[in-house]
Amino acid sequence: MLIQTTQLQKDVQTTDGILHILQPIDLQIAAGETVAIVGASGSGKSTLLSLLAGLDLASSGDVLIDNEKLSELDEEQRAKLRADKIGFIFQSFLLIPSLTALENVMLPAELAGNRQAEQQARELLGKVGLSERLTHYPNQLSGGEQQRVAIARAFVGTPKILFADEPTGNLDAVTGQKVEDLLFQMNQESGTTLVMVTHDSDLAARCQRVLRMDAGRLSEVQQHVA
Amino acid sequence: MWHKISWRLLRHELRRGELTIMAAAIVLSVTAVLSLSLFTERLQSGLLARSAEFLAADRVLSSRRVIDDAWLEAAAERNVQSARRVVFNSMAFAGDQLALIDVKAVSDGYPLRGELKTALQPFGEDQVTDGLPASGEAWVASALFQELQLEIGDSLDVGEKTFTVTRVLTYEPDVGFSVFTDSPNVLINYVDLEATGLIQLGSRVRWNVLFAGDEAGLDDFEQWLLPQLNDDTHNWRSVEDGDSPLARSLQRAERFMLLASLLGVVLAATAVAVAAQRYCQRNYDAVAIIKTMGGSRSQIQAIFIMHLLLLTLISVAVGLLLGYLLQAWVIEFVAAQLGATLPAATVKPYLLASATGLISALMFSLYPLLRLIQIPPLRVLNRDMTGNDSLSWLHWLASGGTIYALLVIYSQQWLLSSALFAGGALAAVLLLSIGRLFIKVSRQAGMQAGSAWRLAMAGLQRRAKANSVQMLSFSTAIMLLLLVLALRNELLADWERQLPADAPNYFIINVDRGDVSSLQQRFAERDIVANDMYPIVPGRMTAVNGVPVRDEVTKEDEAGNQQTGEQREGFGRELQLTWRDTLPPNNILSAGQWWGDNAEPQVSIEAEVAERMRLGIGDVLEFNIGGNVFEVPITSVREVNWGTLQPNFYFVFNTQTLSDFPATFISSFNLPSDRKNELFELFRPFPQVSLIDLDAITDQIREVISQVSLAIGFVLVLVLIAGGLVLLAQVQASLEERQKELVILRTLGAPSKLLSRSITYEFLILGAISGLIATLAMELALWILQTQVFEMAATLHWRFWLIGPLAGAVVVGILGRVSCGRLIRRNTAQLIRSLA
Repeated sequence: MLIQTTQLQKDVQTTDGILHILQPIDLQIAAGETVAIVGASGSGKSTLLSLLAGLDLASSGDVLIDNEKLSELDEEQRAKLRADKIGFIFQSFLLIPSLTALENVMLPAELAGNRQAEQQARELLGKVGLSERLTHYPNQLSGGEQQRVAIARAFVGTPKILFADEPTGNLDAVTGQKVEDLLFQMNQESGTTLVMVTHDSDLAARCQRVLRMDAGRLSEVQQHVA
Repeated sequence: MWHKISWRLLRHELRRGELTIMAAAIVLSVTAVLSLSLFTERLQSGLLARSAEFLAADRVLSSRRVIDDAWLEAAAERNVQSARRVVFNSMAFAGDQLALIDVKAVSDGYPLRGELKTALQPFGEDQVTDGLPASGEAWVASALFQELQLEIGDSLDVGEKTFTVTRVLTYEPDVGFSVFTDSPNVLINYVDLEATGLIQLGSRVRWNVLFAGDEAGLDDFEQWLLPQLNDDTHNWRSVEDGDSPLARSLQRAERFMLLASLLGVVLAATAVAVAAQRYCQRNYDAVAIIKTMGGSRSQIQAIFIMHLLLLTLISVAVGLLLGYLLQAWVIEFVAAQLGATLPAATVKPYLLASATGLISALMFSLYPLLRLIQIPPLRVLNRDMTGNDSLSWLHWLASGGTIYALLVIYSQQWLLSSALFAGGALAAVLLLSIGRLFIKVSRQAGMQAGSAWRLAMAGLQRRAKANSVQMLSFSTAIMLLLLVLALRNELLADWERQLPADAPNYFIINVDRGDVSSLQQRFAERDIVANDMYPIVPGRMTAVNGVPVRDEVTKEDEAGNQQTGEQREGFGRELQLTWRDTLPPNNILSAGQWWGDNAEPQVSIEAEVAERMRLGIGDVLEFNIGGNVFEVPITSVREVNWGTLQPNFYFVFNTQTLSDFPATFISSFNLPSDRKNELFELFRPFPQVSLIDLDAITDQIREVISQVSLAIGFVLVLVLIAGGLVLLAQVQASLEERQKELVILRTLGAPSKLLSRSITYEFLILGAISGLIATLAMELALWILQTQVFEMAATLHWRFWLIGPLAGAVVVGILGRVSCGRLIRRNTAQLIRSLA
């Protein structure tokens, strides 16, 4: 299994006592799978994503990524793990506003010490159809273009896992559809494992597995073979 | 790799104007410090050189005995020039006339600083004269021409030597302000001194050696010389010593410049502090993104520390360049105004300025940077995460320490820095509390008002904590601005009072009692503004409360400076006593009562003398006037402004006590220089009257004051710019917060007009409150400064109570409105996207 959780739990202390955001979760995702996590707002989807990606720490239980226990890694090691194996796509794109499209895409590769960063970034931006936009800053790009830059950035380190948080949430239907197509196409080409949090049931339906999060509890909705 | 990312970020951000405020703050702090310190250093050495003329040297050694040649040689070894000057009283004979004169014998090189001026006829047009009287020649003051009915080429006997009078001596730089000592001066060459036969053991002679050279040489010589001096016989003086109006003006100006520059530095540093905070906040997202993409902590540290360092270095370089240009431009302007060149500066100001920029940028960014590096990657999913606040004490410590360090580095005075710092810290705490209170109160008031006002008040209240910090910097900036402005006005007004356009430029002494009214009449006929006539009765103070005063020092001191600072016991010389019915102008009664009609014998005493001799109301003084010994009680103590060009006295008696003694009269008057030719005619009927020309000296003082005024204007402008920058940085810093609110309000359908009004009102209120608090704090600070630092009378500044809040409201209001205007004009979708 590429991703595996055992009794993963997340609690937060509030004025009214302890709030259990995630009830114990056991989850296995195999390499190359595409998985959608759906559920209402506040059900704990994003929290699960942040734990899987090592952005946050669990209260109890474990996450194993490619056989590495996240709870046994310190912040630096988790960063290293993300640099080597994980890509991200966010609802709000999260490009660095003072870097150009090309530089944004190069960033993760450069952080990982990849000497071919620029060349790879150019190729990827070509793939997402933005060869003409390399030197544009994010605020000079439309929402759809920004998300395409983000997709290129997510693939630049040839990650094993791609985490996507509402990747089309900030886009209109037509643009969203195009971005969606691009994402799945590139994912398929690179054989990356995709874990996606979404509200959009159509988008979720394009994944091999759909998991539903409900008040911190995770359940399998459907499973079909792609 | 990280340095590439760092440089790339910096380059783009600079080009996109995102670092403008931070860069501008650093540039400004460096520019301000460099131009100020370059300017003050150059101006000060210029002024010092100028005022050195009053000593005719940089340092003067006075002695009661001949000064050994070895000391002059020791000076020469250190590249310090020297010249001898010997001053004594004597009688001079011309034909069958005789007069008491001051003889000044000087050696080659005199004057080492300043210039001599002479004319070819009494009261004639004079010009700068190089060189000295040749052996056998004498240059003689105008008054003596009058008294002895001399003409150029006549003979003048001084002691056993006969001199030929070759020039009229009109100006000696070291003539000083003393009016009483002075019999007319006769300048002769040092080589003729012995031939006069007047210098014998026990003669009343003041031996001086003048020294001049560069600071290093002088310091070296001073260190060598001072241990060998004897307090009883030697007196070592520099320009900054002394009690002349010029010395006082200079000291005040220097203190003002130092203080204003300090405030400027603090303001610039504050701007850097505010901008640094904002600079780091801007990068929160970038850090979170980089961490999410797998950037390690050390990579992030390296990226942002390098980013900050590069930004700082570039800004410091730009600041140095701008500061140099600005200062060069101002100096050129000043030099053009004065027709003079100012000496070049040392490297110190450059170091000081660079250090200020580096220290303030790095130290103020320390804590924001620490927080920045600690931003959790989770921020990419939860945008409210900003890391922990637990180290905020570090921020206050680093900021406070930095400001204190800057103060100390800049002023090199522990005491002044500590006082300013402690005062500032106290004021900050007070301002914070008052600010919050004000906001609370105005919130309640605002609930009664229209919707834009209500929105504004609600905004103020909601951001109370942020606002009170914001108000602190608004208030500080406004306060410092008002302070510098008020202080400058006070200082200029004080000088103006001291040297009004019609300040006396001539003193007359030796007026006979019988001539007083006819002389006054002649003044009136010619429309000449003259001060009161003061009678002069020479006398000695012989005992205090029946105990004789020690009076071992004899008339020797008369030849020197009449401002006594040296005598510990008696005065050691004859005093000039006067009588009057009314308190002299510019005197302030500090103790006791003025006598009015009271005919009982009594005396009023000058405050500094009273302090020095430990005298007070009720002490009985014994005086000896021409053999008549009598006692009078002290009934009042006066503060005397020695800076005024009017006759001033240590001892003033009531009329009944003194008026029966023989007296001559003294006064001062103003005669425009284009009417100089009337002087001869004016005084023709009064041949015994001596005239002392103060024109040259008052001109010199005016010139110095105008230089200093220019400098102060310059400082003021820089402080203004620094203050404006603080305000701008602060408004900018609050924009992001406001942006979120705007989105919500706009989305809810609030019209632009309402939003822009509520924002404008909010800033107006913030500005007005800040202005009010600033005025309050300014009055307090000014009171302390005026009474403790500048030795001026404290005053209230009612105008500022209007100007402060008004200016605060207008400036902050406009800055806020303009900065937020951009946000309001953007449409909601854009706003939402920019927040996402």
